[in-house]
Amino acid sequence: MKSWKNRQNVENGGGHGVSRGFSFAKRILWIGVCVGSSQWGTVRADEIDFNRDIRPILSENCFHCHGPDKETREAGFRLDIEEAAKADLGGYHGLVPGDADASEVYYRIVTDDEGDLMPPLKSNRRLTAVQKDLLKRWIEEGAEYAEHWAYVAPERPETGVLPEGGNEVDGFVRGRLEEAGLKPSAEADARTLIRRVSLDLTGLPPTPEEVDVFLADDSPRAYEKVVDRLLRSERFGERWARPWLDLARYADSNGFQADQLRDSWAYRDWVIEALNADMPFDQFTIEQLAGDLLPNATVEQKIATGFHRTVTCNVEAGVHPEENRVNQVVDRVNTTGTVWLGATLECAQCHDHKYDPITMEDYYGIYAYFNNTPLEVENPGGTGVQFSFYGPKMELPIGEAQAQEREELQGVLASLRRDRKALLDNKEDGREAWEERMRAALKNPPKWEVLEVASFESNGGEDFRILKDQSVLVTGRVPGSVVYTITARTDLEGITGFRVEALTHPEIPGNGPGRGDAKRANFILSEIGIEVLEKGAKRGRELAFRGASANFSQVKWEVEKAIDGNPKTGWAIGPEFGKPHWAVFETAGEVGSSEGATFVFTLDQNFGRGRTIGRPRVSALVGDSSSLSLPDDVVEALKLEAKKRNNKQRRAIDAFYMESNPKVKEIDAEIARVDRLFNELAPPTTLVMVEMEEPRETKIMKRGNYLDLGETVTAATPAVLPAIDPSFPKNRLGLAKWLVSPENPLVARVTVNRWWAEIFGDGIVSTVEDFGTQSEPPTHPGLLDWLAVEFVESGWSMKHVLKKMVMSKTYRQDSALRPDLLEEDLGNRYLARGPRFRMSAEMIRDNALAVSGLLSTKMGGEPIMPYQPPGMWRQVGRNEPKWVDAQDEDRFRRGIYVIWRRAAPYPSFVNFDGPDRGSCVVKRPRTNTPLQALTLMNDPAYVEMALALASRLMVECPGATMGEKLSHAYELVFSRRPSEGEAQHLESVYRERVTYYRENPETAEVVIAGAGEVVKAPPGVDAAELAAWLHLANILLNLDETITKG
Amino acid sequence: MSEMNELAEGVSRRQLFQRAGFGIGGYALSSLFQADANADSEDSLLRRGLHFAPRAKNVIYIHMVGAPSHLDLFDYKPELQKRSGQLCPDEFFVGKQLAFIREQPSLLGTPNEDQYAFKRCGESGLEISNLMPHLQGVADDLCFIRTLHTEQFNHAPAQMFSLTGFPRFGRPSVGSWLSYGLGSENENLPAFVVLVTGQVLGAGNSAWGSGFLPTIHQGIEFRSQGDPVLFLSNPKGVSGADRRKTVDSVKHLNSLRLADVGDPEIATRIGQYEMAYRMQSSVPDLMDIGSESKAVHEMYGTEPGKTSFANNCLLARRMVERGVRFVQLFDQGWDHHNSVFDRLSNKTKEVDQPIAALIRDLKNRGMLDETLVVWSAEFGRTPMAQGRNGGGEEVKIGRDHHKEAYTVWMAGGGTKGGHVHGETDELGYGVARDGVHIHDFNATLLHLMGIDHERLTFRYQGRQFRLTDVHGHVVEDVLV
Repeated sequence: MKSWKNRQNVENGGGHGVSRGFSFAKRILWIGVCVGSSQWGTVRADEIDFNRDIRPILSENCFHCHGPDKETREAGFRLDIEEAAKADLGGYHGLVPGDADASEVYYRIVTDDEGDLMPPLKSNRRLTAVQKDLLKRWIEEGAEYAEHWAYVAPERPETGVLPEGGNEVDGFVRGRLEEAGLKPSAEADARTLIRRVSLDLTGLPPTPEEVDVFLADDSPRAYEKVVDRLLRSERFGERWARPWLDLARYADSNGFQADQLRDSWAYRDWVIEALNADMPFDQFTIEQLAGDLLPNATVEQKIATGFHRTVTCNVEAGVHPEENRVNQVVDRVNTTGTVWLGATLECAQCHDHKYDPITMEDYYGIYAYFNNTPLEVENPGGTGVQFSFYGPKMELPIGEAQAQEREELQGVLASLRRDRKALLDNKEDGREAWEERMRAALKNPPKWEVLEVASFESNGGEDFRILKDQSVLVTGRVPGSVVYTITARTDLEGITGFRVEALTHPEIPGNGPGRGDAKRANFILSEIGIEVLEKGAKRGRELAFRGASANFSQVKWEVEKAIDGNPKTGWAIGPEFGKPHWAVFETAGEVGSSEGATFVFTLDQNFGRGRTIGRPRVSALVGDSSSLSLPDDVVEALKLEAKKRNNKQRRAIDAFYMESNPKVKEIDAEIARVDRLFNELAPPTTLVMVEMEEPRETKIMKRGNYLDLGETVTAATPAVLPAIDPSFPKNRLGLAKWLVSPENPLVARVTVNRWWAEIFGDGIVSTVEDFGTQSEPPTHPGLLDWLAVEFVESGWSMKHVLKKMVMSKTYRQDSALRPDLLEEDLGNRYLARGPRFRMSAEMIRDNALAVSGLLSTKMGGEPIMPYQPPGMWRQVGRNEPKWVDAQDEDRFRRGIYVIWRRAAPYPSFVNFDGPDRGSCVVKRPRTNTPLQALTLMNDPAYVEMALALASRLMVECPGATMGEKLSHAYELVFSRRPSEGEAQHLESVYRERVTYYRENPETAEVVIAGAGEVVKAPPGVDAAELAAWLHLANILLNLDETITKG
Repeated sequence: MSEMNELAEGVSRRQLFQRAGFGIGGYALSSLFQADANADSEDSLLRRGLHFAPRAKNVIYIHMVGAPSHLDLFDYKPELQKRSGQLCPDEFFVGKQLAFIREQPSLLGTPNEDQYAFKRCGESGLEISNLMPHLQGVADDLCFIRTLHTEQFNHAPAQMFSLTGFPRFGRPSVGSWLSYGLGSENENLPAFVVLVTGQVLGAGNSAWGSGFLPTIHQGIEFRSQGDPVLFLSNPKGVSGADRRKTVDSVKHLNSLRLADVGDPEIATRIGQYEMAYRMQSSVPDLMDIGSESKAVHEMYGTEPGKTSFANNCLLARRMVERGVRFVQLFDQGWDHHNSVFDRLSNKTKEVDQPIAALIRDLKNRGMLDETLVVWSAEFGRTPMAQGRNGGGEEVKIGRDHHKEAYTVWMAGGGTKGGHVHGETDELGYGVARDGVHIHDFNATLLHLMGIDHERLTFRYQGRQFRLTDVHGHVVEDVLV
């Protein structure tokens, strides 16, 4: 039996188009294999078996034109159905049982007539002599058909002889080994075994203590105790959620343009918890597909329906929402088919399936089950073609205290919003009143009139002269603090404000405007007062101000501070020295009269050190000043009638009003603050399925085109599979119940096969994603069926089945490739050795975090952002989310919690074959590339882990020798001690490195500092030794053994 | 022990091709099996694995993200100009799916101004807009397809459709298919390299993803900021000599392990570390355009150290020189829903000179015959005006997404120079003659590389998948 020699190359599920006949070569090797299942066991090796020997030939070469698809059927002849193939075709028959020469089919495949030959020359398909002979023998033996094995429900087969200490799994495996003439391998040593099973069940390595406990336990149940402990661990759900979330195409973003983030992580946590609780798989199925439709559905059951809300969603501008919805439903149908039926339903979206008995009617029958969900993009403005992610969301429950606090805040918010509304509605100075005032003001634009100075006085004893432009130039003495009094008389009326200018002049040091310092020519107007003496009045009246503005104010010395009544504050202009400045003070009412009035300006400048104005000038404002501060766009907008303004103009006016009205500003700030608090307490949300009240009518889409609809179909399950119980509801719940009904031949097989592949590296059916007629036959059909039946009869217990697998002797074998196996069975299809293959991307990272001591076991919640190189997130579109490296324990949590953005998944995961989760992935490839080497050597995340591992050795083994530390390192990383050769090598590397770093202490510092952004060298350790250990830790994290489950 | 290692390494060589390194590709693999060949004859086997003699060995595929207005660059429509401003015929609008336009639009011709005028160029007389004066100079090397049409009118799905033959996630991109089919010519560089200017396109990594093909065939982005290849540079303070020591230790310890467990995967991994180490010098060397002559920089308009489309064009030539099979350039910024004429001329200023330089440079070096250069986009732009933005507000005039017909071009690699395939109607709306579907275009591209698009398949989910689904015809007319 050298049959599996070639198989190792098709690990990725693929052959390729060139080597036609190659796949057939594999198939015929099944002859001579005696198998022990009820369905398979009856076949003797030398007998023709339809499913094993004939169907693959017909399916590959004939069914395309003579199979289920009526659209492409040639000559009306059908070969996939026995009756049709044997029917009278008008004097002749396709197949005549027992008589190949009388059978048209046989004639067609052996004829020399190129016109008659099948498959036709132009098809590029050729039958080999062996295939032709098989078909001949089959017809001669009666041309008996059999249903495809996977569509026949499994029955529990005989297990064969169980080896001592083994279980049922071994019965099947040993049988095959014997037939193949191969010997099983001895049991792996205890350290290897506990590391293997810990990784398989929890995705994490055992701690050295766990290894010691296991080694010290000499009870016969020692291993089983470990298995039970691991199955109970909360780490179990985290490890097994990963492959399920690949199937569920779970991600934290929409996909497509923009690829914005959305919250669905509660579903991820639901999966982890369900797996930890060993939720029966039938329930697990029903809740995910239809939890919302269960009677009195719980919050958890609704969260579970996130399974089908993980689908991608296109929200780019110009998308057609219905097309998006149809694509989403199609994805749900296809994913359901792949995950539960191992069926490639999508072929039947556009035409009847070419190979499997799935028609377009079947396809749209399932489609109808999923067709009653609402649109998931919406056009938020109601106009234009911009869209947002939408669709049903559910708030997650929050604690009572939080809920109460939220309610209180909601009350506060409501009252604040009422206050605000009252403010805006206020007839005196509300929004409308303001707008009217502004519009009036714009019609009466203000005008400045410089006031003629009647007198100038100062208490500082300076010299001064009044210039022609009515400014006062102050010279001579520079007193520290001073009060100017300027008196002016005017007969202007309707004055609404005054301007005080501080002008420059060459006679002022540094040109001014302040006098005290040529370099920093600042002034501080501490306080200004204006008194008016009206005609007939005996005493002056102090004017009140409504506000102040200035062309410029120094930070913390805003112009308002000149009228705040506080002499310690004031208006200043640093660092804008050497330039003229002005301040305007609006009066609370109009002043002035045509009969004349006198104004007395008191400019208090008490800061000291001569920070006084060198050349003041005062002006009066007539006309309405309130429009002065309006920016141009607001002026333009206000001039328009309200109806004629566009959105942008309306927004500009509103924004300016809010900003300029201190009361509104204040209340808005308060609303924003409370709102923030409120939102911080908001319950997180998650995406769920809901059913529309009015179900949609489902029509067949011709060629899969949603705009070209055909006949109406109703929800139905595929005809080839057992019929649905008529008492089931006609919705997703009914479909889910049907999927996990005991008659379904596929679900249990497909499911246990995926778990088998996770543990053993390849499925019993190696096409894990396809159990249709084009699938690879199972290597151990009896084992597959036995596990499937055991699974269902155990109450759909995943943990029960996994335990069967890992308790088997088959699993516990040494995984080394014996020379004979290297020749005979490199891909380990016969299972003559234990499993050995590279870990998944997430497991590699989790393992490195664990051995370096960094791993945080915090569970659940929002996705995390550990370190990733800058510049990875730069998608086109709106609201690009930002990646912020976590600096706390989130940096070191398990990979299952790392945020999954479809357009740019976590880069080190991508390098280790992580998918984009844009669609359902059943089996990740396992590649071996230089980019992986670069990742483990240089990714700062892994370098930081190496530093942590090195530090850990220094801290946990104080005073230990190098050899002792190394031994500890090996126990941490590999759960074993180093061999002599390993120790020798690493000790010599270590000696060389320590010497090097002692000679180059600065390099040691740089290496250590560069390795850890969050992880720091432990205090007091020798830098050269730590740097040398860092070098070694980096090597250890790069070894094949480190990233391999073996 | 050493015998075991040799045995394992022998197996590892075969494994390598499918899942390791940068992939020698499916054909080489099959050849190895059929002939049980030794390493020395890989190259000849590689050639035998092709379906026909290839015309091109490498591709530089430039995808203009957002979709340039082909009507103002490559497909001159005097009638459209004449009727510019008139309402478009009903059949352009009624019952049609458009991304942004919601009211019956008017026609929009290319402005009647010198800077936008078209000129007949070269001996072939190919008409090219004055917006691309440099490209006008290489007109005789260009092969226009004026009638490409697609099925998608939103960016991300259309990008996936044109690059993977499928409008949703999960399928391999054209570069991955070529990597899978032909592998790399340089074992120290990926077969499929991606260079991006501006933001990443809407389809994200899926635009260069490997779908269901082994992930070694996915495009590797070479970045112009930070490490050109992620994690290429050593951590701070770690020298090349230090890294050599690491790689030696990893090799030594992995060899000890290999002797114990005999898994050929370990032998493969040892090889990957050597390859990684070599990449640490070969990639920076490749990316260092400073070593190019002044004349080259002047021709391309390149500046070492800058991020620019011009630099990417020059890098593309350097990659092809080193045997990278498929270099994909993405350039963002062509989605001109408004101000199309101003914005288009800004973009052409960025790309015109370097693209023409690339074609000239390849030609001067005798590489154009074996290098296929492609100018493409996810769709074209409407001959109708779009006057409103996504929010429904009026904006300066632009063009909407258009899937019925648009112009792409190829140069070199066995395509006819100075040639035009297909013709659109007088208003540039639809195909008047010789339409080319995306699947046809991809079939033609594979054909030029020596591959029958119907025979480059990968079995997945019980079915032989291919880039062109079940469609596609080679456009014989564009072949030399």
